[in-house]
Amino acid sequence: MTAVVKVTARYLSVAAVLAVVVLPAYWVVINSVKTLPELISPVPTFWPHTFTLQHYADLFTQIPFGTYFRNSLYVALAVTAITLALSSLAAYSLYRCRYRGREMLFEAFMSSYIFPRVLLLIPLYVAFTRLRIIDTLTALIIVYVTTIAPFSIWMLHAFFTEIPPELEDAAMVDGASRFGVLVRIFLPLTATGLTALGLYAFLMSWTEYFFALTFIISGPQKTLPLGMAQFLQDYSIDWGVLMASSVVIAIPPIVLFAIAGRWFIKGLTAGAIR
Amino acid sequence: MRPSPSPLAHPAGVAPSRGASFPGGAFARGRAPFARLAATLQKDPYFGYLLVLPLVLWTVLTIVYPLLDAVRLSLLNVGYVGSAGRFVGAANYVKILASAEFWHTTEVTVFWTVLNTVLQVLGGLIAALVLNQDFWGHEFVRTWIILPWLIPSIVLATMAKWMLDPTLGVVNYLLAKAGVIHAPVSFLGTPVLAFLTATLVNAWHWFPLFALMILAALQTIPKEVTEAAEVDGANYWGRLWWVELPSIAQVLYVIIFIASLWAANIFDVIWLLTRGGPVNATNTFPILIYYKGFQEFRISAAAAISVPLFAGLLLYGVWYMRRFMREGIEEAAP
Repeated sequence: MTAVVKVTARYLSVAAVLAVVVLPAYWVVINSVKTLPELISPVPTFWPHTFTLQHYADLFTQIPFGTYFRNSLYVALAVTAITLALSSLAAYSLYRCRYRGREMLFEAFMSSYIFPRVLLLIPLYVAFTRLRIIDTLTALIIVYVTTIAPFSIWMLHAFFTEIPPELEDAAMVDGASRFGVLVRIFLPLTATGLTALGLYAFLMSWTEYFFALTFIISGPQKTLPLGMAQFLQDYSIDWGVLMASSVVIAIPPIVLFAIAGRWFIKGLTAGAIR
Repeated sequence: MRPSPSPLAHPAGVAPSRGASFPGGAFARGRAPFARLAATLQKDPYFGYLLVLPLVLWTVLTIVYPLLDAVRLSLLNVGYVGSAGRFVGAANYVKILASAEFWHTTEVTVFWTVLNTVLQVLGGLIAALVLNQDFWGHEFVRTWIILPWLIPSIVLATMAKWMLDPTLGVVNYLLAKAGVIHAPVSFLGTPVLAFLTATLVNAWHWFPLFALMILAALQTIPKEVTEAAEVDGANYWGRLWWVELPSIAQVLYVIIFIASLWAANIFDVIWLLTRGGPVNATNTFPILIYYKGFQEFRISAAAAISVPLFAGLLLYGVWYMRRFMREGIEEAAP
């Protein structure tokens, strides 16, 4: 009897956590396919009685969705590439090389992560204006790499330290150069870690709103969150289009997480429980 | 996360490479100067410096330099960006520290940070304890608990506005149906309610991340330890209080620290839901700095707010790490 109670309680608790996590997302998805009368009816339906993809079609006709999507994709891919290049080299240096000041550098990177990004807003805006890159996607790429890079050192820790040093030694004995060992042998072995980091960099730049709001002024340069936000503030809100664009914006992060989520969690938690 | 030297404890014992090995034997001899330089750069300590240099330069240019520039700007009277400023000394600081707005914002930021940290860490802990049980499909659930964190802040705000809308929102509908309320509630319309609503929405977004970290910590507790406590007659709560929580205390300290710094930093959700209102009830520092700089076009005033904020956060950081994380750092050190 008590065993039955225990098992029931266990599954009920899991169901409760799942409900908290999933229900709001479910609500957006089902509302994105309801027709307008059902969508704005004062009595909400918990399972759509009507079905339409009109709101998704409206995305492309009512707002320059394609442009925003392209901008976001360009920024996210550029940030991912730059972050991967900078951080994999730096992490190798911090975790696998020996030199004076290494521990101090490591601590400096970690504290720069703790340090709040809002403090960068004003001075970077001034600097970017002087460099004439304000209102360009370049400005966003630069600042996103800045906010992501320190955390990436943390993410890569678990993956970089689990590779035995003997492996590099053996390759060196075979006559390979040290840089060759790093690029051709070491980095491929940490592919899962680099994928996890890439996922994080992509996700962060894909969803970022604060710097985009301040650094981007003109329409053709807007990223998805920015384009969608202006829609949310309109006097008469078109909920159907907002629901549809919500789903579309959220899809890339979810798909990427489905692919590389395991490794991301490994990198994240290994840093915390170290 | 913890800035301890421990992760560096096992550097690779890579031997310095011999000059002749790059870029490939006899052929390289023809370009001796280049080959020699390349060989030198691949020896300790130069190789390490070389690899870390790009990120160091990037960080100096985009974090260290801007911070110093913020101090310079705070001593001028720049209005909108691009206008020339005159040196005004500490005038901006005097004005800000004397304003009620600054102290109100300090108060709101502290409330916001504390409440968010408590909700996120507590929510994360509860979720982690639930997911740490054995159940069918645990691997799947333990991965996809992350869902709220994957949702972009703009979608988060859209979702909240939609669900909480006074006329169309499902929350009002359900509350009315359950008889809890008799007239539609405007969740973002009154100061206290707007503050609590924004806090809940933000906490929902972040708690999965902390749940995952706490779950990972819980799983490092050896089964024998909890089983031994069970044999000794401890019930669930006894085990939790005497065995599990003490075992993950250090991780919790780190997580509380991260959560509080992240919460103090939040802009998106607040701005999209309330724009700092109503009646400045959700006006935290990120909102105030943005507002001064980009709505009132007073760049120097905004910079002058950033500087005491930085000092305050730095003090908090040092105090917290000394008070709660020192032990951990010393334990972790070799």
